Amino acid sequence: MTPTAIAEPVAITGMSLCNALGSSCDEVREALAESETKLGPSSIELPFETQVGAIRVELPALDTELGPWATRVTRIAALLLRNLEDELTRLRQRWRKDRIAVILGTSTAGAETTEAAFRHFLDTDQLPDDYDLWRQHTYGAVLHVVRALTGAQGPGWVASTACTSSAKPLASAQRLINADLVDAAIVGGIDTLCAMTLFGFNSLGALSSKPCRPFAAARDGISIGEGGALLVLERRGRAIAWLDSVGESSDAYHISAPHPRGLGAQLAMRQALARAGCDPSDVDHINAHGTGTRHNDEAEAHAILEVFGDEVPVVSTKGYTGHTLGAAGATEAVLASFALTQGWIPASLGAAPLDEKITIHIATERTTGSFNRVLSNSFAFGGNNVSVLLRSV
Amino acid sequence: MTTSIEVIVAGVGLFMSDCPNAADWHAQKRSAEPQQPNGARLDRRARGRSSVLTKALAEAYFEAADAAGADLVEVSAVFGSALGEVGTMLGLLNQIWRDREEPSPMAFALSVHNAASGVVSIASKNRGFTTSLGADHDTPAMALMEAMGLIADRGEPVIVACGDEPTPVALVAEDEAWELATFAIALAPVRGDDHGARVRLRGPIRAAPTLAAVEVPPGIARNPQVGLLDLICAVQEGSSGLVALDRGRGGGWCMEVLCANG
Repeated sequence: MTPTAIAEPVAITGMSLCNALGSSCDEVREALAESETKLGPSSIELPFETQVGAIRVELPALDTELGPWATRVTRIAALLLRNLEDELTRLRQRWRKDRIAVILGTSTAGAETTEAAFRHFLDTDQLPDDYDLWRQHTYGAVLHVVRALTGAQGPGWVASTACTSSAKPLASAQRLINADLVDAAIVGGIDTLCAMTLFGFNSLGALSSKPCRPFAAARDGISIGEGGALLVLERRGRAIAWLDSVGESSDAYHISAPHPRGLGAQLAMRQALARAGCDPSDVDHINAHGTGTRHNDEAEAHAILEVFGDEVPVVSTKGYTGHTLGAAGATEAVLASFALTQGWIPASLGAAPLDEKITIHIATERTTGSFNRVLSNSFAFGGNNVSVLLRSV
Repeated sequence: MTTSIEVIVAGVGLFMSDCPNAADWHAQKRSAEPQQPNGARLDRRARGRSSVLTKALAEAYFEAADAAGADLVEVSAVFGSALGEVGTMLGLLNQIWRDREEPSPMAFALSVHNAASGVVSIASKNRGFTTSLGADHDTPAMALMEAMGLIADRGEPVIVACGDEPTPVALVAEDEAWELATFAIALAPVRGDDHGARVRLRGPIRAAPTLAAVEVPPGIARNPQVGLLDLICAVQEGSSGLVALDRGRGGGWCMEVLCANG
């Protein structure tokens, strides 16, 4: 069922980022402006060539009480929250703790830690003494850490819908706020590099050996990245930008391949527009899912052309960060929001020379302008599609 | 929480190895031999490749959908699992690290937490809303919370299906191990013309439960989704009261069951 009722916008009052480009919104923005990829060789032992977007900064340790929950995922969460201290203080002053939700997304959760434990098990027939499935692998682990560090006591879950995982929480939180079930939410997602995703995408023939080049004629696959993004959403507040609406749909086509004409993607984009009461011409920029595989980019470009025509400037930021999988939805919503607050969009890195079959407007240069509404697309295994529509204040 | 939403229960479903559907469960019929889910409603290719969890979730989902008379092409779906496709993940790690083989691409594609959500949407030709989430022992409560948000937002039915496959032996101590169990519940918005609906739900809310958990074998009682079975039993028996969705192992979320004759 396609909902057509107008969604009540919610205020985005805080944003935090960490990925290959940097460990704060400012660092990431500056790195984007330089139009240089931060993809590089993988530190994970692999029998094939690829480039990854790794976080280079040292992640904070968790304090003694949270020590058993310390994994790369939870330490990235701690870093993201450290950058939101002022916003979270305001949040706690404004709303009851049991009315603040925590809704996150991840596709890997603690897979990186479980992989290490599994390799230890193969060598010794025993799991490491400090390995704890519930505290280090599951979705509840990262929820526990975020709740402990923020004091949020409302509903909390982790969406895991592959590459749309961290876009879904924006929709869920908007619904809960609109339904008066909560007043605010900490949303977003985190994914880390791990062997399973690198080997897995390689087995699908989807991995590029070089930095990915979404929409380019010579594109030959994705580059995997890691990262995290958190957003603070409130019923009302000092907004950096507004979350207007989110469109969500399914392809109902194939578990790992997109519908060739992007039918599900079109539905998600149209739904986001309808729920905001917008026309396609109201959108000034699209941050595409743009993974760099031949089929994905072609299907998405077709879908964008059908819904928006060929004028709106489209960018994929995966050439900078790599595909951060479960963190991509929230990460790219924040990257798209920079256009609203800064008045420029980055070059779609690696896109030139463009694929002639792709006739939408891919911005191959950094572009300045007035951006009032931006859309961020995320598409995933399972045929899961999410389009997030943001508006300037 | 000060606000909660009231919905109608339109159907239920389940799959356990000694009881393959909710109708048998209510009739207290149990299989002497362990049953395996066959995923009969999935398309042929998906059926052959999907995990036991995905097939069992599909069994529960379609039973609840059928009982509710849901339009499979349109209905929204919320899938929940604490560990998801962890067995598939361990199989892939075995291929990568023990056997030093390239992992199976199809197994990788079906190792995602939303595998069941994806194959059910494909089987149903449903281009609408579907999601997949986890919250350890609060998974049933949070799947219901997500469903409540959807119903408030869209005013349309939602099917919630939660399950976990048997615990991976390598990763979980024997005394914590559980068995395969999946449960589903079809929810619909309260409308003006259905005051006579037999069972309504309100919540989830944090509260002390007033209805006792059903007696089940330890392997089912430890499954993180068992709270949905307690809810299904209250619905089937027409008992009004507060059902714990976590059996005391999560955040204390309950669902209030309101039965016309309860």
